[in-house]
Formats: sequence, C-alpha cells, structure tokens
Amino acid sequence: MSEKREPGFDRALALVLSIGAYAGFFVMAGGVVAHLLVDGIIAARLELAGVLILLATPVVRVFAAMILFFRERDRRYGWISAGVLLILLLGSVFGVGER
Amino acid sequence: MTTLLLVVLGVFAGMVGALSGTGGGIILAPMLALYFGLPIQQAIGTSLIAVITTSAASSSVHLQRHTADIRLGMTLELATALGAAVTAYLVGYINRTALEILFATFLLYGAFTILRKGGKTEDAQDEIIPAPSGDEAAFPPYEPKRYPLGMAASLVAGGLSGLLGIGGGPIKVPVMYLFMGVPLIVATATSNLMMGVTAAASAFVYYRRGDILPSVAAPLVVGVFVGSLTGARLAPRVHHKWVALLLVTIMLYLSVHMFAHIVGKFL
Repeated sequence: MSEKREPGFDRALALVLSIGAYAGFFVMAGGVVAHLLVDGIIAARLELAGVLILLATPVVRVFAAMILFFRERDRRYGWISAGVLLILLLGSVFGVGER
Repeated sequence: MTTLLLVVLGVFAGMVGALSGTGGGIILAPMLALYFGLPIQQAIGTSLIAVITTSAASSSVHLQRHTADIRLGMTLELATALGAAVTAYLVGYINRTALEILFATFLLYGAFTILRKGGKTEDAQDEIIPAPSGDEAAFPPYEPKRYPLGMAASLVAGGLSGLLGIGGGPIKVPVMYLFMGVPLIVATATSNLMMGVTAAASAFVYYRRGDILPSVAAPLVVGVFVGSLTGARLAPRVHHKWVALLLVTIMLYLSVHMFAHIVGKFL
C-alpha cells in the first residue's frame, strides 16, 4: 500500500506546502521591513497575516489530501485525513483551550 | 534592533537545524525565553510557527522526490496531532516554572542522547542511493509494520511537540525506521511532513490563548527560512560531527542557563 506512489498526488501537496511557506515568508519579510522602517499598524498586520498563512498551510495540505484520497476512491485514507482535519479544527474553529 | 537580532537567531537555528537534521526548534524556544524575555509559553508558541515553516519548506522538496509517505504520515498524524493538541491545552494550566524545569531537563536529555550516539543525529544522507534517472531517490520496497506501536510513539512525540514547541523527529524517525520497517530516508521525510500538522494542531491552541507573538514570529521565520536553505546547501561540505558537537554544546549551555534562571527565582 505504501509503496504506491502517485506522482501527481505528491506534486499537488508539494505545491500547497511550497506556496504556503513562500507566501508566509514573503509576507513576513514585508512585515519585518515595514517594522524596521515605519513600525506601525502595517507592520503588525503583515506579521499577523504571515502567522495566519503559516498556520493555515498544514490545514490546507490535509484538506487537499482528503479530497485527493476520496477522488481516488481510497475511502480509508480519506476518512483518516478527515480525522486529522477534525483534530486540527478543535483548536482553530472550536477554540479549545481558549481563555 | 531586537527585530534584527531575532532574524539572526532564526538564521542560526535554521542553519544548525538543517545541518544536524534536528529541525533546530529545540534551541529556539529556550533562547526566546532566556535572551528575549518571553514567558516560556509564548516562547514555545512562537517557535511552533518556525517549526511549521521548516516542515512546509523541506517536505515540499521531499514530496517532489517522492520520499515522504503521505499515507503513513497521515495515519500517524492522527496520533501526533491529538497528542499535540492535548498537551498544548494543558500548557495553559501548567505553572511557568514547572514548564521551565521540564524544558531544561529535556535539553539535558537531548544533548546526552546525541552524545551517546557518538554525535550522530538523524541523518538520512548516508542511505540515499542516487537513482540513475532524475532526482528521484531510490529505496527498497517496504510495508509499514506494527502500526499500534507507531501510533503510541507518535502520540508521545506529538505530546512533546505541543508541550515544548519542537518537531519531535528524534522520536518518530527511530520508531518508523527500527520498529515499523520503513527505510530511513522515508522515515526522515515522513517525520518532516508530519511536523507541520503536529505543530499546527498545538499552534492553534497557543494562538487562541494569545501565546504566539507575530512581531517575534515574523523575524524568526524570515531567519529560519534563509538559514535552513543555506544550511541545506552547505550540508555536503560541512562535517556532520562538528555540527552535532555545536548543537550539544548549545543545548547543554541553554539547559544550565535555564536551571540557573529557575534557581535564581527562588533565591
């Protein structure tokens, strides 16, 4: 089962991850530059946006994998991905641990 | 000024991480706590963002080379994400000093583990067999075994990740490699892939609690990104043993400093 490698599948997820990492990096770099030059609301917004992009990246990766598994009719791994997604959403959407 | 220092810290941690194969997260949180005055909870939460960055950037490369096992990773992520979310939640109720003691102890333990292995951290480079065609690395076919054991170890790795803001590679890699029958290169790549989801599971909890500081995370991520890219490029030319020795020295120093800091609070 695990030897099965779908090049398209891996590439799609690699794309999600590199878009997330690079977007997070560039937005944060913008934030750092803004911080050094003007240090105001723009810097804070960019820095926060970067954090949110990076937080979302693994979630989008799991979501994309879930869609791809279900489309390949690999239900077992589709549901496993859905389970991981649910755990990720515990903290983000349902606010577990919030004070 | 602090912003620039944070970029430098990120570059350094990213480089050491990429060169030693440990992710570098282990030195970030204590440094943020000891030298940048962050409460340990915020230091851990903020360093998780750096862990997500490293994982995303490196596993996109592993996925393109088809060395990361997405099915195995996803299955074990059920356990790592759960463990990470639970401990991240608990951190909100743990006494700050108790968390510092835990961290200092783990640094000490980690340093001695690397020393005992003769300066060897997880290193998959030795096993890569250059494939005749393209950049695809070759490895023998395998079928992961002993899933229950893998899941249990992943739960612990995830728990540590949520507790200390680290990736947990030093636990997952040996378990996949030694007990589940997964080739080392696949185990390393898959562990790297899992780190992002694991760190995110706990990072969301830290974020909702206000324990992630964007103004600290941003310069750190910029540095870590540049540092790990540089480190990966330097890796073939740098002697692995010296990097491990450097990492051990830093970990021991940070551990001692943190213990001193804790003792200082009671004097």
